[in-house]
Amino acid sequence: MTDEVELELVEDVDIDEVPLVAQSESELIMMARALVQPRAHDTWAYLASAHKMPDTIGPSCEALLEDALSRIWPALWRRDGARPRASVIGNAVVRGRPWQRYAPAPLVFTRATLELLRWLVGMPLATGGDVPELEARPLAIGDEVAIYLALDLATDLPPQLVIARQPMVRKSALAWLGFAHLMAGDAPDFTPIVTGVGAIVVDALGGELADRWRGAELHKRQLENPDELLAVGRAQSAALEKFMAACDAAHRRDLASFVLDAARPLLERNLAPVAQLLDPGKPLSTRSQARLAAGALLRGVQTWSHWDDQHRGVRFIDDDYDVAQILLGRFEPIGRPLTDRAAQMLSELASLIPTPSTTIEAP
Amino acid sequence: MSRAIQVRVSESVVRTVHVEDGVQTPLELLPVLAPERMADLLATELEAQGFARDAQNPNLAKRTDPDGIEITVDLATATVSVKLGASTKLDENVSLEARVAEEGRAGTEAHLRDAAMGELDKRIAAKTEALRREVTAKLERKLGDLRSELDQAIGRTTVAALTERAQQLGEIQDLVTDEAGNVTIKVKV
Repeated sequence: MTDEVELELVEDVDIDEVPLVAQSESELIMMARALVQPRAHDTWAYLASAHKMPDTIGPSCEALLEDALSRIWPALWRRDGARPRASVIGNAVVRGRPWQRYAPAPLVFTRATLELLRWLVGMPLATGGDVPELEARPLAIGDEVAIYLALDLATDLPPQLVIARQPMVRKSALAWLGFAHLMAGDAPDFTPIVTGVGAIVVDALGGELADRWRGAELHKRQLENPDELLAVGRAQSAALEKFMAACDAAHRRDLASFVLDAARPLLERNLAPVAQLLDPGKPLSTRSQARLAAGALLRGVQTWSHWDDQHRGVRFIDDDYDVAQILLGRFEPIGRPLTDRAAQMLSELASLIPTPSTTIEAP
Repeated sequence: MSRAIQVRVSESVVRTVHVEDGVQTPLELLPVLAPERMADLLATELEAQGFARDAQNPNLAKRTDPDGIEITVDLATATVSVKLGASTKLDENVSLEARVAEEGRAGTEAHLRDAAMGELDKRIAAKTEALRREVTAKLERKLGDLRSELDQAIGRTTVAALTERAQQLGEIQDLVTDEAGNVTIKVKV
């Protein structure tokens, strides 16, 4: 008995033109493609397996890596639905979809991205255990995006923590902005991601950043160990304070809109960013510091509130009236009632005798 | 043929341990008057409650309660720090023994000594932690009363500041305080 199979020729492929790469290079290319399109790949298999990497890559591999990374812009835009909105660019309001708001700008990648890909492919990250470090090196904006996408690829998996504690990753401002709750140490300078091409990236990721920060706030409500909460809160505070200061200095307050989008649903439901009860066996000083640190996002709302007061003072005849109107519109859904609620929550977090927070609800 | 011997090692440690716990929190003082004047009014209220201005730093008002709890109010930044410490002398002894062949005596003795030191460290750490928990529990019991005491001081400071502000605006004709602590001041300007 024989099986008959009908084959349909869908594309005429010239075998001589198909680039040939080594097995290890193929893994490298697949990892780069997975970063760009995580849903189209078996993420776990890529991160869990470890392959020995040769010292160099061939020109075919280089070309295919370039091709994979060249698709990052559309991938970033898709993440936020490529929504039409307004951005403040050069003290003027520009409206439209991302590619209409910004002039085309290439993402610059350096050797750091290749090192990252090689490390991701070469290390057994499945167990979340110790692996050789990914050394810190100067990062271009493309490298920062690759690091962000690598952390995103490993979301909710043990490798995410291993990736987050690498020296190269902790030098990335974009990684801090998206994954502050996983970071430790000193936050880097945020200027590179609020100016030039970096600002376009952050603008494209606005919706996703709001979701991430909201998720981190809900996660904090499940942390009963004050040491853990303190570490998360301190990292979040460092990231948000430095980022918002950088936005302010670069006249790009609009980039910090995700703070409001993240906080609003939580404030509306009166959800404080701490568990009802922190481990009573821990020192009061640690519990108290942890509760204070946990209010990072609420302090971000307060900074916005101060900005809002300034925007209200901009008159029709002033140069930046249009910009102020856009920013007033961003703050409007929060308004005075939710700002007061944020202040009340911060006051409760700082209280000598903390009052229990409300019960967690499904987001 | 080797002989079996019994090796016994005793180690003891006497250590004085000090544990401390405390909290620091801002006081919600409304800026009715200039910060320096608000600080003076708060200091007056606190002095009535047994606080004393620090001789070296007059911005600090301090009180040490009979239970050892130290309360420090920073009048300039309007923050309160509450702290409790405790010290104790710990005296611990550990004896360990083992039967070994005579030629293994030196190695066993070193091993037992290490184990004894490890056991002593563990006991000291456990007792230090128990003392720390005792301090924390004592401090927590105190905080409820302290908060209400400080809230009252803040309330009276605010009323005093409002009264002074009203006097600056004009002539006070009526000052009514209801049971809930709400104050109404009528001023003729």
